[in-house]
Order: sequence, then C-alpha cells, then structure tokens
Amino acid sequence: MIFWVTLARNGSSFPPVCGCGRFIMGGHRRVEREKEERQSHTEVIRRKSSTQFMAHRLLVRRIWTLSVKDLRCLPASLSSFSTSLRSSTTPLSLLSPKRTLPRSLPHTSRREVSFNVQDHEDFTERVINSELPVLIDFHAQWCGPCKILGPRLEKAVAKQKGKVHMAKVDIDDHTDLAIEYGVSAVPTVIAMRGGDVIDQFVGIKDDEALDSFVSKLVGQ
Amino acid sequence: MSNLGHTCWLCLLWSHYQHCPIEIEWHGIWFVTGTFDYDLVVIGGGSGGLACSKEAAQLGQKVAVLDYVEPSVKGTKWGIGGTCVNVGCIPKKLMHQAALLGTALKDAQKYGWQIPGPISHDWSTMAEAVQNHVRSLNWGHRVQLQDKEVKYLNVKGSLLDEHTVKGLTRTGKETMLTAKNIVIATGGRPKYPTHIPGAVEHGITSDDIFWLKESPGKTLVVGASYVALECAGFLTGIGLETTVMVRSIPLRGFDQQMAGLVTDYMEAYGTKFSWRSVPKSVDKLSSGVLQVTWTDEQTGKDQRDTFDSVLWAVGRAPETKTLGLEKVGVKLNKESGKILVAADESTSVPNIYAFGDIGEGRPELTPTAIKAGKLLARRLAGRTNELMNYDNVATTVFTPLEYGCVGLSEEEAESRHGKDSIEVYHAFYKPLEFTVAERDASQCYIKVVCKRGGDQRILGLHFTGPNAGEVTQGFAMGFQCGATLTHLKETVGIHPTCAEELTKVNVSKRSGLDATVTGC
Repeated sequence: MIFWVTLARNGSSFPPVCGCGRFIMGGHRRVEREKEERQSHTEVIRRKSSTQFMAHRLLVRRIWTLSVKDLRCLPASLSSFSTSLRSSTTPLSLLSPKRTLPRSLPHTSRREVSFNVQDHEDFTERVINSELPVLIDFHAQWCGPCKILGPRLEKAVAKQKGKVHMAKVDIDDHTDLAIEYGVSAVPTVIAMRGGDVIDQFVGIKDDEALDSFVSKLVGQ
Repeated sequence: MSNLGHTCWLCLLWSHYQHCPIEIEWHGIWFVTGTFDYDLVVIGGGSGGLACSKEAAQLGQKVAVLDYVEPSVKGTKWGIGGTCVNVGCIPKKLMHQAALLGTALKDAQKYGWQIPGPISHDWSTMAEAVQNHVRSLNWGHRVQLQDKEVKYLNVKGSLLDEHTVKGLTRTGKETMLTAKNIVIATGGRPKYPTHIPGAVEHGITSDDIFWLKESPGKTLVVGASYVALECAGFLTGIGLETTVMVRSIPLRGFDQQMAGLVTDYMEAYGTKFSWRSVPKSVDKLSSGVLQVTWTDEQTGKDQRDTFDSVLWAVGRAPETKTLGLEKVGVKLNKESGKILVAADESTSVPNIYAFGDIGEGRPELTPTAIKAGKLLARRLAGRTNELMNYDNVATTVFTPLEYGCVGLSEEEAESRHGKDSIEVYHAFYKPLEFTVAERDASQCYIKVVCKRGGDQRILGLHFTGPNAGEVTQGFAMGFQCGATLTHLKETVGIHPTCAEELTKVNVSKRSGLDATVTGC
C-alpha cells in the first residue's frame, strides 16, 4: 500500500508526499502518475532491500521444490505474493516467519477455504497473517439474517476457487474480537487483505452484490 | 457530620474527595496524588450496575464496570446483564407468553380456528429461542458499554479498601483498580435449603430452569413466592405436570385476597398445590427420577412422590460474601445479609454506595434499580441532589392469571389507617375474550383501596386479569399523581376492555352488596 504522509512546514500543509520522498500530484494526471509511481515503487523497493530480494529468490527456488499438489495453489499465492511485494508497507514483513510464503504454502493447501475462528491466536495466524484476502463473517446464532447471508457468502467465496478465504466469527464466543473490530450489528462482513480492513458491510446482500464485493476484494 | 465527607490528612480539613486536591490516606495502602484509575467503579453488571455506569460515562466520568457470574451449583452461567436479562424477567416473560399461547390455541378452536389434532409443546424449541434472545441482549449490552466508553471487565470484584477494587478472572489472574467512588450492585442469587438432604445435589433453581436444554418434565416447585408461582404457572401452561409446595402463605408481602385468587386460578387450570407442606429429603432413584419426602403439617404425616425435577424457589440471598465488605467496614443487616443503605444509597463507608437487590429494604425490581442507578450517577457527578423515590412502585406478578398492583395492600392500609378510615371498592368482572372461549373468570377481580371520606384518595389499586401489567402501568401514573376515587370515576373508560372496569368500580366491601359486574 502506498502510504501517504502529509508534511506541514511553516504551518502550511504541503501536497501529500509518499513514503519514498517523491511528490504525488493530483488532478487528471493522477492516474498516469499513480501507475508510474507503482512501477517505480516496485523497483525502488526491490532495489532498496537486497535481503528482501534474496528472500524472493529463495522463494522462487523453494517453489520449484514443492509437490504438484501444492503447485495447484501457486497461481493464487504467487499473484498475492507479488501484490504484497508491491504493496507492502514494511518490506521486512516478508521475512517474518509467519508471513514467509514457503512455510505457509503447504498449510494453505490443506486449509479449508471457509473456517470457524477458534481463538485470538487462530485469528492472527489465519486471518491477519493470511497471504490471501479474507472475508470475516461476524455472525451470531440468534441472528436470523446471518443464517440467510451465511450460505450466500459461502457460495460467493466458492466461486472464487480458493482465491479468497472466509473466516467465521461467532460473536458470542469471541465477543472481545468482535468489539475490537467495531462490530455492533450482525451480520457484519469485513474484507481483509494483508491484515488491513479493505471494505465492510452490515446486513444482507443479494448474490450479485456479494459477487461484486468479493471480486473487488480479490482484485479483479 | 455528614457521612459523605472525609478528613483529608494533608490539608486537615473536612471535605469531600472531589473538592480536596491532594489526599493521603494514612491507613490505606496507597497514596493518592489527585488521580484515581477511575472516577467510578461499579461492581455488578446487572440492571442497576449497567444503568449507573452508562449514565456516569455519559456525564463525562471515567467508569469501569465489573461483571462476573459465579456458575450455579448445576454449572449454569450467563453473560452480562444480570438476573433480569438472563435468569429473571426476560426469559420468565417469554416462557409465560409461551404458556399463554398454549391456552390461546385451545381458545382459538372456539373462535373458529380449525386445528388438526392435539397440540403439544416442545421445550427445546422454546428454550433455544428464549436463550438466543437473551444472548442477543448480552451482546447489545456489550455494544452499549463500548459505545458509551465504559470499561468492561469480566472479573469477580472485591474491595481491598475504600478506593481499591481487586478483580479476579476465571483463570485466577488479578487486576487492581482504584476509584474515587465505588458502587456495589451485585444483586442476589437463589437460596438452596441446605438443611434438606439431597436438596443441593438434586435440585435446581431459577438460575437453571431457563437454561435447560431438555424439558424439566414432572416438576415440584418448592416455594410460594412470585418466582415459584410464575415458574409453576408457565410449566403447567406448556403441559408439564407441576406441583407447588407451600409452607404457609402464597405471595408473602402482597395483598392476600389477591394472592388467593391467583392460586385459585392456577389450581383450576391444572397446577397441583401441596399446602402446608415442608420438604424433608430428596433422593435420586435408580431410574433417575427424584423421590421427595415431605411433611404434611396439617396431618403431621409424611408423604412421598416422584418428580423429574425439583425447583427450589425459597428465597434469594444477597451476593455479599466474597466482596470483602467487613474488611472495609461496610455494614450489613445481620438477618438478611444485605447492605445497609441510606436514602442516597450510601453505605457506612463514605465513598462506597450500594443499590438494587443488594440494598436493605429496597424492592427487588429492575425499574427501581435502573432509576436509582441513574440518579446515583447524576448525584456522584454533582448534577443533581434528587433522591430515588421508592414509594408508589407498581408491579405485576406474571402468573397464568396476571396480578398487577400499585400502592398498599388492603391489610397494609388497614394497619396504617385503621379499618374504619378506609373504603374498599371492588368488582368481579369477566373479560369479553373469555365469553366465546367459555373460560372461567371467577378470579378476575378489581380492588381499589381508598381513604374513607374527603376526596377518597386511592391508597392501593389491585387487578387480576389478562395483561395485568399493561393495565396497571397507566393507573400507576394516576396513583403517582395522587389520584382519588373521584378522579377514577371521572375517567371515561375505553370500551370494551378489562381496564375500564377500574373506572366503573362502585360497590364497596362495607356495603356487602354483590360485586359481580353484569352487562355493559
């Protein structure tokens, strides 16, 4: 994610400045600018950290040693990996054990696409640190609309064929977690990618709206 | 000297904490340099505790509420909200409604509804629905606390000193909080008759009945309080064989004539009553059923019968044992164990307050706890001096035939004013809905107790009939405004309702005339 820093000098606010120090201009030129920025960013980040580049090479090497079964998951994981490479806020996060793809790839293949969150640790591991985008379905057994939305969500997620996961959180079992994410009414669905909340909605959506919501999350 | 102040040992002046900038407690274990962790810590997250903490937070105070549910003997536990939400008013009323619907289904056939086959009730369906609603309320309270910025801690609170509260988690972890003011609103729990062998091992209480996954089956309800009668009432209503074991009188503290009508109705509608009986022992047989032995006080003989469940409704005990009150100096009533409180809910310790079911002499009702909590929060924040008015509180017993009342019972009015100084107007009426349904309405009754002579101020109002709670609420407002019999008679009734019979009451008990209402 390109993070924007607003610097205020001499009491005035300057135009937004991106983390690498280059000015970003607004207006009609923004789109082209942003594309340029993204590409140059990628290069900058790659050039910046040689260790990171090493990790990337290591990853490529390890991918080739994986079994065929695991390779089936590759396209999705690889694309998400490159996305995270481009969009990482902290380049070094790629090196953190939990986020290193080779270690988690075998796990990813064995994990279900849709699962019930067991506890806070489970949530951190499988949702926040997930390589794939995750839909978090906050629901309760006393909530009627949740029972309608649940199957629809499963369908929408299944259509993505493994590109997105769904974490189900029962707010009675995990009240603190739900409160932490600002859930007040259920069903609340939060779209998370790279540990960040991308989007969310409260209440029921029909199949079409859900498909477009999920597609947006996956980045299509 | 007011007990709301304290000597500050630094400035050696008599003051209230909120005015003295720096305080040092010479006998305490802490030094205060002007700041506590919280302005207010509330121990107890029930009707009272939540209302108080939310109100205080809204007034800008830094508040924490500690709620912890010690599991019942049978292991039942529940979320935030206290007795009312989890094991009291809410599930009770819902199950009462389930029972009323059963009766309505029977009446429906007389009204033309074609109901194929016999009607049966499934406990699990009802219990799950009720429990789900309660869980949604637990969640709602959590969200509200979050929204109002009240810190919630699921810990068992106890007092270390007058400004320090210790919180213990389920796993035994300790937290300490310091607070300028501490409010105790821990309520009560059902009592077990521990002197009866087998009572604790085999019996359940109101803490458990609403959370049972399976039907309690043939049930013995021991007790004659509103808890006992309401539970027995809905159990009978959903088709379970129920017996109520009464030691002496039903609904102690309520108007006894009305209490008699309530139990007469229950007997007529299928609840068995074992009058003047005292349980002796409870044994579990090899088949799993419970065998109860009791003494019939009238004959002196012992009786025996088997039940699937035994529900103890023999009173409630205040939750004060583990609060550390003696150490801090909070005085209790020796008999009841409740905290002695002044009109402003203060205790014997200056900055510690107590209200709700835990307060001695206070009504054990949710609305009074909520109102008292809100007023206390406002007083502590210095916004008002208004005290809680515990008089003229209306209430309703949700037995199969509901009983609503406000003000004095006939006995209380007689003892306070003398039999000759009061006039009691009454009427037996028949709800219109009962006519087509061919239901017996012998116990549908109204009683207005007034002062004799003068403007005949109403001292007490009593009503048995359907929707008694809804009927009584409006009249309670009139009562609060000092309604007289003239006001009542000047009010034009809404027709056709049961409530209008109150406005038409004109036969006095003294006259000896027939009080049955005939026609429009």
